[in-house]
Amino acid sequence: MLISRRTFLKAGALAGAACAVPAAFDFASFVRGAAEAPVTRIPSTCNGCSTNCALWALVKNGRLWKLEGVPRAMKNEGKLCARAYGVAADVYNPDRVTRPMKRTGDNQFSPISWEQAFKEIADKLTKIIDKDTASTVAWLTHGGKETYAQMLLDEIGSANYITHYSTCFTSKTNAWDKMAGAQLTSDIDRARYMLFCGRNYAGGIMPGAMRKIMRAKDRGAKIVVVDPRLCELAKVADEWLPIRPGTDLAFFLGIAHTLVSEKLYDEKFVREYVFGFEEFWNANRHFTAEKAAELCDIPAAKIREIARELAKNAPAAFLEPGYHGLHNHYASSTRIAQANVIVNALLGNFYKHGGLMPAASPKFGKLTLPKRLQPEKGPRADGAGVGNEYPTVETGRGIAQHMPDLIAAGKVKALFVYHFNPLRTAPDPEYQKRMVKADLVVSIPVSWNETSVYAAHYILPEHYYLERMDAPKSTGGNIAYDYPQAVMRFPALKPLHDTRHLLDILKGIAQEMKIDDLYPFTVEEEAAAMLRPLGATLETMRESGCLEMPEAVKPGFPMKDGKPALGTTTGKVEFTVGAFKLHGRMGVPVWTPPLVSPKGDNEFRLIHGKQPWHSHSVTSNSPYLMAVTKSYNGSRMWMNRGRADKLGIRDGDEATVEARIEYKGETRTVSKRVAVKVTEMLHPECVWVPSGYGNFSPRQTVGYQQGVNYNDFAPARVEPLSGGCMVQEVIVTVRKGG
Amino acid sequence: MAHYAMLIDAARCTGCAACRVACQLQWQLPPEVFFNRLEFREHGQYPDVRQEIVPVQCMHCDNPPCATVCPTKATYKRADGLVLIDHDKCIGCKYCVVACPYDVRQVNDRGIPEKCRFCAGFIEKGEQPPCASTCMNDVRVFGDLDDPNSAISKKMKTVQVYQLAAEKGTKPRVFYVKRGG
Repeated sequence: MLISRRTFLKAGALAGAACAVPAAFDFASFVRGAAEAPVTRIPSTCNGCSTNCALWALVKNGRLWKLEGVPRAMKNEGKLCARAYGVAADVYNPDRVTRPMKRTGDNQFSPISWEQAFKEIADKLTKIIDKDTASTVAWLTHGGKETYAQMLLDEIGSANYITHYSTCFTSKTNAWDKMAGAQLTSDIDRARYMLFCGRNYAGGIMPGAMRKIMRAKDRGAKIVVVDPRLCELAKVADEWLPIRPGTDLAFFLGIAHTLVSEKLYDEKFVREYVFGFEEFWNANRHFTAEKAAELCDIPAAKIREIARELAKNAPAAFLEPGYHGLHNHYASSTRIAQANVIVNALLGNFYKHGGLMPAASPKFGKLTLPKRLQPEKGPRADGAGVGNEYPTVETGRGIAQHMPDLIAAGKVKALFVYHFNPLRTAPDPEYQKRMVKADLVVSIPVSWNETSVYAAHYILPEHYYLERMDAPKSTGGNIAYDYPQAVMRFPALKPLHDTRHLLDILKGIAQEMKIDDLYPFTVEEEAAAMLRPLGATLETMRESGCLEMPEAVKPGFPMKDGKPALGTTTGKVEFTVGAFKLHGRMGVPVWTPPLVSPKGDNEFRLIHGKQPWHSHSVTSNSPYLMAVTKSYNGSRMWMNRGRADKLGIRDGDEATVEARIEYKGETRTVSKRVAVKVTEMLHPECVWVPSGYGNFSPRQTVGYQQGVNYNDFAPARVEPLSGGCMVQEVIVTVRKGG
Repeated sequence: MAHYAMLIDAARCTGCAACRVACQLQWQLPPEVFFNRLEFREHGQYPDVRQEIVPVQCMHCDNPPCATVCPTKATYKRADGLVLIDHDKCIGCKYCVVACPYDVRQVNDRGIPEKCRFCAGFIEKGEQPPCASTCMNDVRVFGDLDDPNSAISKKMKTVQVYQLAAEKGTKPRVFYVKRGG
């Protein structure tokens, strides 16, 4: 979408705005117009990624003009990244879905009315529930946004609320919950030493975290980044250590070994607050820094040096708990998460300033709703938490990537996909396309994403984020901040198209299912009820853009009756996880090699990561952000120069990338062409692709077939402990040309 | 009279391009027309390699060659240091594009070679250019060099600075923080 000055002013004139728009204008008159047009500022939260940066939408003549960050908001401290601007401008993207659609053939859709869509979906859903039970109804979502869907699932008796987290970071949340009973966050503001492995706050941007990191750097804290690629964060770090991809666990165990064998660890903390230390140490006492160095390509002396520096600065030192970058990639990802907990606990930094602190969260109120009779829920279709399937996978998150198998097995008949595009963001899109075979697939998107085009029977477009009000959210998590904050979306623009709010979509379906009173409230009423105990109203929220409560987080290990009181069985940090011991497995992490490794001159491990101007698949159809990509050849696949020389590949050359996908007895070869960026900034054993490219929806004209996506080459596997999809356990062959 | 300038600390830049897109919204530019460019460079060999990212834009030179060569005086310099373009006077000859040593002019859909405006019309009201205010790493400081209390004046006193292509004698108003080593 092009918002040229000309169309911008024309739109203002059509809106009948007070300011006079000259028929022929020049720069000076534009500036005058800009100065004279009344500007309204409406608070919202960015939808460019999951960080929820608080922003002001500045609107002139009913049209979005620009954005400003809300200074008080801890996640962004008044700053916004390129994605925020690009995604906001996409409200005018012509590739949005403008009204409800019904599939009429391959990639063919016809518009239908909301009333007809509600009636047909409700009829089909009712039949499926009556015939096959509600346990065959699933809601597949990015997650963390909607309680309304859970209300519908509760009402009909389905347990299948499934989030995208298994394609992201479930190994982290799973391990931390089981070992520490909580997710702790790094206290960057007060740290003296920070070790970042597989977490790149300047690429997978969280502006507030970057500000804290740069302030820490300015006051002399040391920053070490361990990453096979010289990522954006490594660029401003004190040290970059290019680790062999797939060996983070060896590196962490080497650090732990040094801390224990050199008696640098916090013995008092371990004695008082740790359970299972001996079991961990007995299993790893021979895994020295030297042993780790052989595997991970970082010299033993460097591993020991880092361990010593961490210990010297402890407890104001941490190993960042990480995110997708550390926790979704390998067969060992859950063990990596476990080792992460252990390294931090050995530093004694739990609940210490400068170490790891809990997130502050406001205590929202809620609406008082009539109590409803709810049927018993059947077992989860995805196997999460189910005894003989994936018993240790968190039921609150589920497993997203094997949905076509569940459909083929008759476990899922009706599927809703909300704010999520598994055909592009989960492994193996050709396999994911089989979702269309369910009896009913409803996609609730804003754009013609791949899931809508190839899998949905009905597409019910939601209001764009700038067009809708969403209930208040806590911003706590990922980085430490002692003051609970709440942010909220207010509608900044009138809906441009025939779209609806999710709550109204579900109300429509529920009413047609004769569940008239399931949602007896509006978003305004819900938001007001949530804010009430905080002493705030919609009006105060609208004026402030970000609500901050008094300090709620203080250092100090949680204790009850003089005993450690974490949310674990022993109340302590548990180095061994009983639940993980099923099927003869270990409760503690021990070195686990990657499933697959590259061998020949033309074989590479395929790894991926975020680029600062794109996130997931939602940004790659943005004209502004794709223009940045084009300026900097951003969709190229990175390859180490030494390796490229051997293959005769020069910077900018086209190459063919191939992988064999083997999944449940099925074997296919995937072959894609991509331009190569030849660089010194990458470990030689891997090629790196930025995530968020390779879109294949022909109705998304900007992002269509730009670059490749790591998911193209990965089978839809399920890592048994946490449900992750092991998307860097992929070996590709690369050759020059076609 | 104010004397506007910008100080850029390239060592802090992580290349996110927020400056570019924030500016595009401020001025309602189409996606292909942008006033902020990043220069990405690698130095050294794996694994002893480092990356340099240098933001480049119109330097608002005290001695602007684009204005000197302009046959219609469409490009002109204001007393406060801003080099601006009068769109009505521009005949689209693109002489300025060739004359600029920094390669920062972009031809818009009307054939006018556009460039950074130092947010004329906004800064008089005390606003910061969005390229500076949106930067999460505080790469840019914009302000009035004649005001000893401005953030830029204070910062300029604490660092050594250099200018791009200073040998051309253009006297840029965009300064870069010089790093040791």
